[in-house]
Amino acid sequence: MRLVPLAISLLALVGAAMPLKAEWKALASKGDVAVAGKLMLATPLAGWNSSTAQPSERSERWTRDGLALNELTFFAGVRDGEALYFKPFLADKDLPKFRSDMLPTELVELFENSNRAILGSSVFTIGKVEPSMLGKYDAVRFAYSYAAQDEGLTRRGEAVAAIVEGRLYLVNFVAPAIHYFDRDIAEIRQLISTLQLRPPKALPAR
Amino acid sequence: MKRAVAILALAAALAGGPARAMQPATHILPSSTAYQPQDAIEKGLWLEMDEAERQIRGSKFLIDDPELNAYVKSVLCRAVGADKCGAARVYLIRTPQFNAAMAPNGMMLVWSGLLLRARNEAELATVLGHEFAHFEQQHSLQSFRDIKAKSDAMTWLGFVPGGVIAQIGLMGSVFRFNREMEKRADMSALDYLSTSGYDPMAASQIWEQFRGEMEAQAKADKTLAQPGEGSEFFSSHPNTKARMEYLRAAARRKAPSIDNGAERYRAAIARWWPRLIEDQVKLNDFAATEYLLAGMARGRWSADLLYARAELYRARGKAGDLALAERFYRQSAAADPRLAESWKGLGLVLLRQGRDAEGRRMLRRYLDHAPEAGDRAMIAAMAGDMAR
Repeated sequence: MRLVPLAISLLALVGAAMPLKAEWKALASKGDVAVAGKLMLATPLAGWNSSTAQPSERSERWTRDGLALNELTFFAGVRDGEALYFKPFLADKDLPKFRSDMLPTELVELFENSNRAILGSSVFTIGKVEPSMLGKYDAVRFAYSYAAQDEGLTRRGEAVAAIVEGRLYLVNFVAPAIHYFDRDIAEIRQLISTLQLRPPKALPAR
Repeated sequence: MKRAVAILALAAALAGGPARAMQPATHILPSSTAYQPQDAIEKGLWLEMDEAERQIRGSKFLIDDPELNAYVKSVLCRAVGADKCGAARVYLIRTPQFNAAMAPNGMMLVWSGLLLRARNEAELATVLGHEFAHFEQQHSLQSFRDIKAKSDAMTWLGFVPGGVIAQIGLMGSVFRFNREMEKRADMSALDYLSTSGYDPMAASQIWEQFRGEMEAQAKADKTLAQPGEGSEFFSSHPNTKARMEYLRAAARRKAPSIDNGAERYRAAIARWWPRLIEDQVKLNDFAATEYLLAGMARGRWSADLLYARAELYRARGKAGDLALAERFYRQSAAADPRLAESWKGLGLVLLRQGRDAEGRRMLRRYLDHAPEAGDRAMIAAMAGDMAR
């Protein structure tokens, strides 16, 4: 009868992989708010909420109607050698690591491969990749779409990423391709275009 | 990956039950289209599987290329016989791991990782025949009865993260059964190969290749036990040296054949191959992928294989990797200058090494070859005056 203890331990493992208490805080829709360790300054849109549960130490996650319907994640100050996300509890392989000498298209690869690993999905396609700005810094903007294994839904996303003083800054919006992405993307682009980065003072070169 | 580990843990638990004696074969075999489920347990299982099949039909992971589907079905039909293969409904699933599974209701799932790993038609026929034998001999049904006697198996399957595909993978897959069942399926697959005129040696070859890949992975990943030495993965299915030996010995007793369908196989999966290898490279699993590529090349590196290898080294980016990546991109571009992605990779790897002028030149060459590329605007900026 080794099934029952295994069931309990498996349940414990699945449980442990989830945040113990995630809380949502409504964002004031007036004025700028400091985001992701105060390294970014964003102007929230009406009805958005911030979560205390983050996908990594250097990030912050917002939603309007719940993460399944719209998700806006800010990554700020990711350092050389760090992954974009916390390693999933039962993962048998490390996630890809950010390197400060990555080229713009390699940031897109980092994002894609990290998400393929987290989602366990190979149905992940990068769309248009183009130069852009994040705050006052040169950046790469890219579109993508994917499906996760346990839902028959295609999601679309758009992200902008830049390396500033050797650290990665990335804003990512994702929503179901049906209805939600198109409904919100214009607002989101507006938000991203007015986003300010506040990188810490440059450290002396090592 | 969470899902994979959980599946393996469950698979080990499920496969651990004692083997049931075979039911007397007085009824129609499941490989006959006239077969119907026999009792409440089996009927319930079919209902579950029919529901799972409906979900899979709507899955975004389904590879719905009619030609590729027809090809895989034709290999199954040649292997097990046209009279039997009608009992199977084959679904190709875009998932880069090596796996195939057949549910008791006749639904057969073939993971794209198997299509990547099989080097010829005979190797594919080996795995399809193996799964079909499990199905025909009702091994998953027997296992299910064993589990059912102990606990509610469906509650169990509900725990498997990753959705219905992962669950079916668990229900009846190459990793699932006890050793006695595996051996019976191995021997049946060998019989299928032999009677359908394929090279019987293919049976040991594909498992040997996969064992090598697992060993390469385990060696690179210190957290895994060495295969065959008590690791849960290998104790749950007998992909041991002994297995290779009994398969080779049995194959030598069969009529030899040199037909392994390598050319047909390559032609059939050619259109999908770049996507399959891309999925594998993007798994961030350097050791297993490097082993896999070497096994495919067997000393003859094509432009595609060289490109995949270069991508692997560029992605890892350890000391010395960029120089190796550069060499492989150059060899790939020399072997097939039309492969636009090689020029891009070469450009990127040169920029990364500070050789900007040549790197930008190579990026422009990529744009010449792929004027419609989705990353055209970004690459054009990088090929222009943009510094890092």
